[in-house]
Amino acid sequence: MEMEVINNLINGGAVTDVLFYVFAALTLLCGVLVIANPFSRSPVTSAMFLVLTILSMAGLFVLLHAFFLAAVQILVYAGAVMVLFLFVIMLLDLKEEERRKLKLFGLLGGLVSVGTVLAIFMRSLAAIKPAGAAPQLEGSTPDLGRLLFSQYVLPFEIVSVLLLVAMVGVILLSKKKLE
Amino acid sequence: MNASLMTLELCVLALGVVLLLADFWMPAERKKYLAYAAIAALAGLLLISFSGQGVCSLGGSAFHGAFANDALAVFFKRFFLLAAILVLFIAAEFSGRIAAGISEFYSLIVFALAGMLFAASANDFAMLFVSIELITITFYVLVSFQRGKLQSLEAGVKYLILGALSSAFMVFGIALIWGTTGELNFTKLAAVAPQFVGSQIFLLGVLLVLVGLGFKIAAFPFQIWAPDVYQGAPTPTTAFLAIGSKAAGFVLLLRVLFTAVPSVMHTPAFTNLLIIISGITILYGNLCALPQRNLKRLLGYSSIAHAGYLLLGVAALSANGQAAVLYYLAGYLFTVLAAFAVIAIVLQNVENEDISGLAGLNQRSPLLAATMTLAMVSLAGIPPLAGFFGKFLLLKAVLEQGATYHGYYCLAFTALVGVVISLYYYFNVVRALYWSKEPADLSPIELSSPAKFFIWVCIAGIFWLGIYPSTVLDPALAVAKSLGL
Repeated sequence: MEMEVINNLINGGAVTDVLFYVFAALTLLCGVLVIANPFSRSPVTSAMFLVLTILSMAGLFVLLHAFFLAAVQILVYAGAVMVLFLFVIMLLDLKEEERRKLKLFGLLGGLVSVGTVLAIFMRSLAAIKPAGAAPQLEGSTPDLGRLLFSQYVLPFEIVSVLLLVAMVGVILLSKKKLE
Repeated sequence: MNASLMTLELCVLALGVVLLLADFWMPAERKKYLAYAAIAALAGLLLISFSGQGVCSLGGSAFHGAFANDALAVFFKRFFLLAAILVLFIAAEFSGRIAAGISEFYSLIVFALAGMLFAASANDFAMLFVSIELITITFYVLVSFQRGKLQSLEAGVKYLILGALSSAFMVFGIALIWGTTGELNFTKLAAVAPQFVGSQIFLLGVLLVLVGLGFKIAAFPFQIWAPDVYQGAPTPTTAFLAIGSKAAGFVLLLRVLFTAVPSVMHTPAFTNLLIIISGITILYGNLCALPQRNLKRLLGYSSIAHAGYLLLGVAALSANGQAAVLYYLAGYLFTVLAAFAVIAIVLQNVENEDISGLAGLNQRSPLLAATMTLAMVSLAGIPPLAGFFGKFLLLKAVLEQGATYHGYYCLAFTALVGVVISLYYYFNVVRALYWSKEPADLSPIELSSPAKFFIWVCIAGIFWLGIYPSTVLDPALAVAKSLGL
């Protein structure tokens, strides 16, 4: 039911375009605020903006019909990984950082890598042939779930053993007393 | 779906969970005896696998062909069971030096074994990746188990970082293979692979998967981690890394090369690649082992060299070559585990495993001295022991192929040079045993009866394989033929 609503919404051309620009702008804006926030130097604020960046990227995935990817993006990155980040930041009690001077080497390295990524991006944009029909979408969430619990159920179950091992290992390696 | 094929794996997983739970009810001073319970259970499974109506007698595949129980899988399952049983003996001897969580140590060994059993049956890239991760992540914990020791933690971190890197390469490779062919299953992939032999992206994918496997077997240029991790890890872990983890890498290598992409393997470029990697690995391992004074580090470099010898057989791309690989692994199992057991027992009270710690061992315990000598002599490849016959078979397989491609002659020559170099450092160890100048401590070593049993099993294995090679070689040839060679 909701799926249809979303599908209708994102298939309507004008709305999709507007949403795309909204999410893309949010992604970029929040991304900048993570690393260079003029109002706050607190690591917690940066982490919160990273959450916003990830959420708006999930929005972009929804516009691409990649619903599963969007859900995983929110659950794993915005949920689990970011909570871990915040835990570490709060446990370590990081103070507000001093404003650092830009180093020449860092600046140069950054510019070169941004330039490279930009060049690759432009080259691949130019290489795209203007296709007549929209590409076929595949890999919907129900299909993925069905495969995961039929053909790939064995690897899926082995992952649960792996998680058990990881849990045992973490407890062993991090418990306080050696005895 | 034929899920009963997995009975062995499920039993091993259940054993791991039982060991974890047993920790609650066992009094602390008796926990080390849990190892013997685990050994008994695994030995039972091993016997059942030979009985003809047990889990290993069933052929076939399950889960849409992702899980194959063919001759290759059965051979390696028995191999892994035996390796885990012997490693648990070493772990029981070592238990005094593990401050906390000895039952978890045993159960992690059993979980790693489960990962290896799944790897032996993996016939699908998803299975391959998941089982490799189960093995590797268990080993991250096992390597850093002595967390009071800085060296152990350092080894754990190094293994973690390099292991994660190699996993990333491997996943990338799998993604490229899937992206070009649309197949994850090895058997189905083999059917479509010939169309893609010209595709650069597909070949890059295969290459990246080989990078991941090369890390597991510690082949050049992915061997950087081996010496440090071998040295820092607790001795039973090192032993299991040297035999179990390496063999898991080889079974997956054989599967990928000969079941999934046989068409790629027979291209001249890949044949050359295998020959070059094998040759460099042999030379690198043997040359770097020369100046080592730490026994575990020495065995680390020697294990790199042995990965190179094993790659000789793989590079031969013939049934004889693969049979020789299986035979060599069987001989290596007894030899290297005997060596690590002696290290674990003799160097109990010594902070580092320097060769000088072995001084005067022939007066302290003639049996242990003889075992270490046998292990070194077999690793060096002197007749009539298992190591000699294995090297002979590998070289023979390579020379047989020499007529078709002359690179094989160069490879055989390189391997011979490597063997000659290795004589020096193996006999250095033997010299420390018998002709050492500074015998510091001459107190006799008391062996527990399980340790004695273990030592005699290893000695019997080394001699048996050397004198009656056909007991393993005949099944190994059958396995190699079943790979379609």
